[in-house]
Amino acid sequence: MNDTTITLGHGSGGRQSADLVSRLLESFRKRGIGPELEDAALLPGGYAMTMDGFTVSPRRFPGGDIGHLCVCGCANDLAVRGASPDFLGLSLVLEEGISPEEVAFYMESAASTCAGIGMTLAAGDTKVVPAGAVEGMLITGCAFGRIRSPRTLSMAEIREGDALLVTTSIGRHGAAIASARFSLPVEGLLSDCAPLWPALSPLLRLDGLRCMRDCTRGGLGTVLCEWAEASGLHFFLDEDSIPVSFQVKSLCDVLGFDPLYMACEGCAALAVAPSDAEEALRILRQSPLCGDAALIGRVSSAEPKGMVSMRTSIGGERLVDMPWGEILPRIC
Amino acid sequence: MCLAVPHTIETILGENRALAAAGAVRTEIRTDLVENVVPGDTVLVHAGFAIEKLSPEDSEELKGLWDELRALAGDPYAR
Amino acid sequence: MMEVCGTHTVSVFRSGIRTILPPTLRLVSGPGCPVCVTGQGEIEAALSLLDRGAVVAAYGDMFKVPCEGGSLASKRTRGLDARVVTSAMETLTIAVENPDREVVFLGVGFETTAPATAALVAEAARRSVPNLSVLSFHKRTPPAVELLAADPDLRLSGFLLPGHVCVILGHDPFRFLPEKYGLPGVIAGFEPEQILLGLAEIVRQHEQGAPALRSVYGTAVKREGNPKALGLLEEVFEHRDATWRGIGTIPDSGLALRRKYESFDAEKRFALSLRPGTPPAGCRCGEVLTGKIIPPECPLFRSACTPLSPVGPCMVSGEGTCGAYFRFFKGDRS
Repeated sequence: MNDTTITLGHGSGGRQSADLVSRLLESFRKRGIGPELEDAALLPGGYAMTMDGFTVSPRRFPGGDIGHLCVCGCANDLAVRGASPDFLGLSLVLEEGISPEEVAFYMESAASTCAGIGMTLAAGDTKVVPAGAVEGMLITGCAFGRIRSPRTLSMAEIREGDALLVTTSIGRHGAAIASARFSLPVEGLLSDCAPLWPALSPLLRLDGLRCMRDCTRGGLGTVLCEWAEASGLHFFLDEDSIPVSFQVKSLCDVLGFDPLYMACEGCAALAVAPSDAEEALRILRQSPLCGDAALIGRVSSAEPKGMVSMRTSIGGERLVDMPWGEILPRIC
Repeated sequence: MCLAVPHTIETILGENRALAAAGAVRTEIRTDLVENVVPGDTVLVHAGFAIEKLSPEDSEELKGLWDELRALAGDPYAR
Repeated sequence: MMEVCGTHTVSVFRSGIRTILPPTLRLVSGPGCPVCVTGQGEIEAALSLLDRGAVVAAYGDMFKVPCEGGSLASKRTRGLDARVVTSAMETLTIAVENPDREVVFLGVGFETTAPATAALVAEAARRSVPNLSVLSFHKRTPPAVELLAADPDLRLSGFLLPGHVCVILGHDPFRFLPEKYGLPGVIAGFEPEQILLGLAEIVRQHEQGAPALRSVYGTAVKREGNPKALGLLEEVFEHRDATWRGIGTIPDSGLALRRKYESFDAEKRFALSLRPGTPPAGCRCGEVLTGKIIPPECPLFRSACTPLSPVGPCMVSGEGTCGAYFRFFKGDRS
């Protein structure tokens, strides 16, 4: 990584973010005390742990707010590693001048979400910083949960022939945020921000469940690229199979965005043995959150290895790469 | 530099301004570059400006072009 | 066959059209990315205005384009006031809301985009907005297309013409293709099916030995173009020579504000002199932009030159030929 300053591009979840994280983790890795790169870490003793910080702006968006988002983000990181969302620690960094009512609103929202999934707030911290040091507030969650999965779910488990699934239509959170940020109201567009544990936990009994991942920043495209790169296999997607809602498609058309890279907050990617793909879809579709779950591709040993490609709507083929830096509206 | 999206005019907001819908997106657009747009018209919008009105005959014309092509493809020695 | 529009370039690559064309057909990309062909000196001019405390508003496409002094995005990181707009007219609102700041719109794009800038200038003049100005780096498509049509090294069978540029210009500015050079000129839309229709029409004309200027983009493209938009362009802009990054100067290919509107011309208001750029060593963008080589034939492609660290204009924007090839082309990635 050659960059001399951190830029917004480093936070966007694509190639630049991956490079930044690598550089920051070097010191730990070289001492043998560095983390795996999965959403949550599996700790000795049967617990999983995750951390996630939230700086979303605007703090209230169609379909949610930063409090709800924080709980879902952390809970979903645990859920995709087969751990139930049991305990949460919250750190709030508040900008001088923000209204206490506003912060209380987000806490109410977070608490309501926790209660809905059986998560308990176990620890917290609040700091106030001078005006200008942060934009409104930062909230960081640290979550712990008991590992319920009988086997280790990890990208190391992905094999040739595996089916690639997605739990719902993609990009709704990113589109909802963009809609607010660029003042483009979209009827019926809500963030997909939701806790996934209830929908995903019934999948844990499937022997062929290899791994799951919460899509977040950088969207489905980034997750699949990271998996392909880590596994050294080729991922081949079918463009027509990837569920995209009419609202997300409309917004992406107008701003020139690609739904594959739009953030999600209630959407998971799954790799499943081919023999379990149908059953996994059937289980997912029983959840109201995953009615549009779909099989979107397969893992193969074809070239180019470590990359993702796609059969396009017109029947052609093209690569799916990670997004490069901050995603901005285009007119070209 | 040509991303343009069809929008349907919903309301005329004033001189050179209109509220339009593209799929599920509703947005204010400029109409400086087109004449006499009324609610219900479909326009092609680029960078916030309507650049042309679209006609319902478009899909007919495109279908006609594809039919022409298929006829040609069916006859490899067409001259 | 050559396409000359960045949006066609992206659509072709994103849909993988080349992977389904028969081997007898070859589609090359030309200099269709206006962001890519914006000169280094032109971007530096915009950055220098940021340094002087002005607000500079630009389309998102321009934000990450680097020159020696950085980019709009990197300047914004350092706290300077560069803003993404999705419509030129937003700049007027910014100017009206910030009467004590100089507000500059960076006008980049071909004839689809230039009318919006013309409308901005006309409106600013009508409302006598004193703190708004425009950097006009708009370019004209027909001179570049003619340069390529006349190039003896390119053995083109026809041109796929940009549908939306022709919505504005109509058919006439491209009639030189069949009339002077005996080449098909087919105006096409941007969906993969529409591009295929356009390519098929080029092949048909070629097979039948009957080159013509024809639109397969439906009623949006009228023979006479969009008279209102053309009128605005004529009112606000005049032609001048322009330098296309990677290619060089193409006479008569730029749009500059007329004298009547010089108070809105940022180059004059801020007494800017544009530095010509120096092509980086080893960069073969000129040959890529004119369809003479494809990206993998450039030794810098994918080694020194990547989307994160672009050396030349073809890589600077995702819509440039090298940027699109890098991100989307599956063929030679083993």
